[in-house]
Amino acid sequence: MNGMVKITLAASLLAALSACGNSSADEGGAGPLAILAQTATQAVAARRAPEAPAAPARSPQDAVAEALRVNQGPLIQAGFENLGRSQIMAMTGQNGAMRTYMTPSEEALILRNGLLVGTRGLGNDLSVAEPQLESAIRAGASGSGSRVMRYYSGDGLERPLQFDCRTAPGPNAGVLVESCEGHGISFQNNYMVQGGGIPVSRQWIGPALGYVTIQTLRP
Amino acid sequence: MRRSRLIRQLMATALPITLVMGSGSGTATADPLLGRTMSTYGLPGGIDTPTAETLPDGTLGATLSWSDYARRGNIFFQALPGLTGVLRYARVEGINDFRNEGFISDRSLDLRYQVLGEDGWRPAVAIGVQDFLGTGVYSGEYIVATRSVTPSVRVSAGLGWGVLAGKPRVIDINDNGGTANVDQLFSGGVKPFGSVSWQVNDKLNLVAEYSQDRYLARYSNGREFQQGEEPGSKLNLAANYQIGRNYSAGIYAIGGETIGAQVTVALNPREAAYPSGLEKAPAPVRPRPSPAADPEGWSGAWSQDPTAQPAIQKALGDAMAKEGQRLEAMALSANRAEVRLRNLRYINQAEAIGRTARLMTRALPPSVETFVITSTTDGMPTSSVTLRRSDVERLENTDAARIAAAASLADAAPGAPGLVATDGIYPRFRWSVRPYLDLGIFSAEDGLTHEVGAEARASYEIMPGLVATGALRQRAFGDIGQRGPAIGLPGTRGEYYTPEEYEADPSLETTPEGVPRVRSDTRMYTGNSSPVIPEATLAWYAKPSSTVYTRITVGLLERSFGGVSAEALWKPANSQLAFGAEVNRVRKRDFDQLFDFRDYEVTTGHVSAYYEFTEGFTAQLDLGKYLAGDVGATVTLAREFANGWQVGAYATKTDLSADEFGEGSFDKGITLSIPIGWATGQPSRDRVSTNLRSLSRDGGARLNVNGRLYDRVRDSHTVDLYEGWGRFWR
Repeated sequence: MNGMVKITLAASLLAALSACGNSSADEGGAGPLAILAQTATQAVAARRAPEAPAAPARSPQDAVAEALRVNQGPLIQAGFENLGRSQIMAMTGQNGAMRTYMTPSEEALILRNGLLVGTRGLGNDLSVAEPQLESAIRAGASGSGSRVMRYYSGDGLERPLQFDCRTAPGPNAGVLVESCEGHGISFQNNYMVQGGGIPVSRQWIGPALGYVTIQTLRP
Repeated sequence: MRRSRLIRQLMATALPITLVMGSGSGTATADPLLGRTMSTYGLPGGIDTPTAETLPDGTLGATLSWSDYARRGNIFFQALPGLTGVLRYARVEGINDFRNEGFISDRSLDLRYQVLGEDGWRPAVAIGVQDFLGTGVYSGEYIVATRSVTPSVRVSAGLGWGVLAGKPRVIDINDNGGTANVDQLFSGGVKPFGSVSWQVNDKLNLVAEYSQDRYLARYSNGREFQQGEEPGSKLNLAANYQIGRNYSAGIYAIGGETIGAQVTVALNPREAAYPSGLEKAPAPVRPRPSPAADPEGWSGAWSQDPTAQPAIQKALGDAMAKEGQRLEAMALSANRAEVRLRNLRYINQAEAIGRTARLMTRALPPSVETFVITSTTDGMPTSSVTLRRSDVERLENTDAARIAAAASLADAAPGAPGLVATDGIYPRFRWSVRPYLDLGIFSAEDGLTHEVGAEARASYEIMPGLVATGALRQRAFGDIGQRGPAIGLPGTRGEYYTPEEYEADPSLETTPEGVPRVRSDTRMYTGNSSPVIPEATLAWYAKPSSTVYTRITVGLLERSFGGVSAEALWKPANSQLAFGAEVNRVRKRDFDQLFDFRDYEVTTGHVSAYYEFTEGFTAQLDLGKYLAGDVGATVTLAREFANGWQVGAYATKTDLSADEFGEGSFDKGITLSIPIGWATGQPSRDRVSTNLRSLSRDGGARLNVNGRLYDRVRDSHTVDLYEGWGRFWR
């Protein structure tokens, strides 16, 4: 099988930094490199303008006060530990006890009466959490049961992870701790329970995003 | 419940742990024993010798290695959990052929199957064939066992034949290659080989191996060549360093004297940078107010108001556009709404459908209980998903299997009563101007070649399904010049006609074996310094019945051919099986790629059968007449992932003899297609696709017409739709 054979890898790529047209990014044809370039541009812009809309040198208290003033609906403050950022999120929808809160850039946390149900738009999203101990958590009671966490996996499926969990009152008064184990990892969710609601909590999203602390600013 | 079993299979979520957690912690009884370092031949292994290790299922990557013996570019793919394949392009040093350059370029293919995984005391065992098509420089076979001695040390021992036994096969200088050398497999004497690999820490791995390879090439005309220097000993050493998750680099010493280096990149389709994608959160469901709070909305009386539907359609269309979808048409009655959407943004149609269902809960009056979401492509409705609005409200953000069980999938009728087209969508004109880069890689004669220029492209959708497309290219610079085909007469290997010679003598447009040149003169179409028209077509897509799709394309269909192409496809939405037929009457275009044609004209066409298996495999069989008038069949097998990755292989055999076809004996190739969104996290239907094949052969060549129906239609059909259904609530 000596050479002679002309193999062409027709990878007609490249594009974009100087491309123009009226096609939107959605309508294909933008080409792979166009999108890569766009992504890179966004990444650079994101780096150059850290928290730009939050205005320079504004204290967290000011941000909260401003958000409460501007937005009349329910608000939470969410601190994503692995992402290293804390954001104020406004409720954009309510379906029964389930509420969807979003950041201005349309990343979402979905909570059911304070309990984390899912995330959207964060890149390593939790599709849905199914905690068997939900009623024990709300009652502030001890118990044990399973918790299924479903994730969007890289191959395009929704994949479940099952954990074994126990709930018990934590060291601080009024705080319930749910300890879960499985697949060689463990995590602890902390809930401050008040009348079945959970105004403050620290909950585990998943292996990549880690914990989020959620504080209700306006119920 | 056959249907629900199929849905379950398609949404199957086996092997959850490693995939989400990103590290191997499986509890399977037999460990597949994943490779830690790649050999210079691009397989998990020592340095030159193989081991019984595999790669994570679906892994696609490349290993490039350099030494005084050879430069090898290996493309590897873990096609099945136990089956690894490698396609290799090598510059083998020290061998003189007719070019007298001191090296040859060589293509080869290896396969390895891990028969047994590691289990307790039992080692993993694999059997492999190296360079098994034709008799090649690297031809050899092996059986090898690998076992972990400690968590960081693995030992492999095996038996090798051919080069692995230091007994290279005699290469037949008259062989066209490309067919399996079955009679030589596991013949000609056997010798042992072995290796030890020590994972020093997370990054560093050291390997020592005992190899029999003498780096000798023997030819049937009696000539023998030593590649590089004869190894002074049988001991080889290497150090490899892992860089991040996807890269590794290493250095090695063969026989104590020859030093080499290699780099590997390995991509696992299951490991995306942003597994869930970075697209914005969907607008959530808006539950209906109680009947007491909105008696008029619940009564359906609003549907009598002629201004209701236009206002609702405008609001819904605008909201869908924000989420990357075009609302093409809508039919609305008091309790039922059908929307026809074109998904422009998401790889998984289920994500588009799920977002549309939620937007419908926000836009439609409460009396509308039945949602029919019909996917369309190029004006053709492809399938309808019917949902109850109360199920959408009840099941929002739950396990996607629950809404799958509550939804029904059906064929979409070509039209629907009461369907109103959305204003202002057609006609639609789009244009773009951007630079392009064409790369020629792996060319034995030319090395890496390139061409850079600008391409203007425009499309005009006159009405749904009727699209005019045109492209104009201007080359700026590059080294892919115009050239005639290889002369192909005895004693002229490696020599080409000049463009002038080739154009001056029309008889040259048939090969000496009598085959019309349809692809072997493809280089005549390159190197134009004036503008060329790669494509200028008018395409009409239609759906005459609920399961039949048609396409007619006229114009300059591709770089080398223009004419008429007609296609029909039968594909019910719930069927894994499809049949198609295509007929083309085409004429060869002139080399200036404008509006002139040459003399060669042919009718080419195929009947095709397609099948989608539930485990992510698809098969296609085409029977028909190819561009050069040869008659035969193409078999294509592909592996697909729900995230849009596709890796396929195909082979075409026609009634041309191996001699008429030329080197390679028959046409075969590998197709790769990777969605851009997988790499960037940004939602997009764009892909990077490539076809690794021999471009210069005339046998088994098909027309490269754009817009073939099958891949356009099946996104919203049973297998593809349910495989990606996990993203319904994304």
